[in-house]
Amino acid sequence: MIMDFETLLSTLPGFAEGLGWTLFLTVSVLFFGMIIALMIVPCRLSQNWLANGFGLTFVFVFRGAPLLVLLFLVYYGVPELPIVRDTFLWQAFQYPVFCAILALSLNSAGYLTEVIVGAVRAVPRGEIEAAHVAGLSRWAVIKGVIAPNAIRLGLRNYGNEMVFVVKATSVASLVTIQELMARASGVYYRTYDPITPLLVAGAIFLVLILALSRFMAFLEVRLSPELRRKAEKARSGAGRPAASLTAVDGPSLPQTPETGR
Amino acid sequence: MNWTLFSIGAEGWGDELLWGFALTMALAVAAYVVGTVIGLFAALALLSKSRILRSVSAAYGTVFRSVPELLILFLTYYGAALMIRSLFAPIGLDLRVSLDAFTAGVVALALVHGAYTAEVFRGAIISVPTGLREAARSLGMTPFVTFHRITFPVALRYAFPGLSNLWMVMIKNTPLVSAIGLADLIGQANTAGQNTKHYFAFFTAALIAYLLVSAISLWGQIRLERNLTRHLPRQGSWSP
Repeated sequence: MIMDFETLLSTLPGFAEGLGWTLFLTVSVLFFGMIIALMIVPCRLSQNWLANGFGLTFVFVFRGAPLLVLLFLVYYGVPELPIVRDTFLWQAFQYPVFCAILALSLNSAGYLTEVIVGAVRAVPRGEIEAAHVAGLSRWAVIKGVIAPNAIRLGLRNYGNEMVFVVKATSVASLVTIQELMARASGVYYRTYDPITPLLVAGAIFLVLILALSRFMAFLEVRLSPELRRKAEKARSGAGRPAASLTAVDGPSLPQTPETGR
Repeated sequence: MNWTLFSIGAEGWGDELLWGFALTMALAVAAYVVGTVIGLFAALALLSKSRILRSVSAAYGTVFRSVPELLILFLTYYGAALMIRSLFAPIGLDLRVSLDAFTAGVVALALVHGAYTAEVFRGAIISVPTGLREAARSLGMTPFVTFHRITFPVALRYAFPGLSNLWMVMIKNTPLVSAIGLADLIGQANTAGQNTKHYFAFFTAALIAYLLVSAISLWGQIRLERNLTRHLPRQGSWSP
């Protein structure tokens, strides 16, 4: 028997707690990653070579570095430095949760910056020029023209990034955080049954991520008038094959090299 | 900064780190090759006429792209032997296989890589103009010859940016194997840190090594891409 039902039942309360940790990490990383990314995006979009160089370096370092290396560097390495060891910063760095959220957020911010920059660059130039000509202020153009367009255009890539954050939180188990993955290994070490707990944890991740990507696809259709119209047409004119295939294909973004995760 | 930490020989950790780096690269290359082959077959299954093949491949892609890599790695390393044994037990076979950490790492990373590669290949094969395939068929080429002489070479060119992105992803996934006890670059840096209490120096060195590999790969990708598309009119960057 591959799955053991008794082990399965005994693991469930622990897994519920682990799921709580996974969700907490995910939400925190999405929040702080977005804040960091929003600070880097203006650098990447600026004409100033110094600011742009800083943005590019940030993206190169935090996107090119493996997550585990970042995590270990923050968790084991940074507390060694005198500036952390001998000051109030130690108060924060002694907690694995703080280190995990910091490392994951920096990593996510690297990817997120490029997602946002790509989305902003994909906003049609004509609309921005028209807004300028109509006499809108700089801030009004950003708020009223660039942001709504960019959010719509970047939503799909942001959804992918969210999925990667959910998956990446499992690495936090390697610095003693008791999220889902750590719970699964814990059950394995206690019962010597590797398959049941890992399959249960895997199933939870699968459900979580499928729900998330469904929700993001729904949001994209809701926010894009042209997709919504297409979806409505597909629903009313059921039987016409063309619409159903293309209903979720929005405008595509230019891909930069090494977007990959 | 104490450079003797990185010297080669008994007192430094330079040689251990280099061996770790070699293991990381060997693992990445092996998993990349195996995973790309898996991905190609998964893409062909996705595009096949058989409904069963299509849904099996789609399920494979969904599962292996949604479940964390670390979990797949643990499941392969700790569970695969047991799983194979209990699958074959009902038909009277007592298979006792054992996976060492390196093989488990290659299998797990290759399975994940294959799931992503399948999507890249599927997109690339779809993008090949139908006219090419029709022309080949009308010249009397069999479906297999059409695929391996016409469709695949053209599709490979379309797939190249995606495949090189996935190479970067592969490099960034390899450190996870230190969690199943392999002495890769991170594993060695960790050991070195435990022994000398200079974690910061060793992990920074590892970070720089990974960034260098990324930079070199990016440079190679740009060179190769230029080479692959030299028959096309040059107008800035080429996109399929």
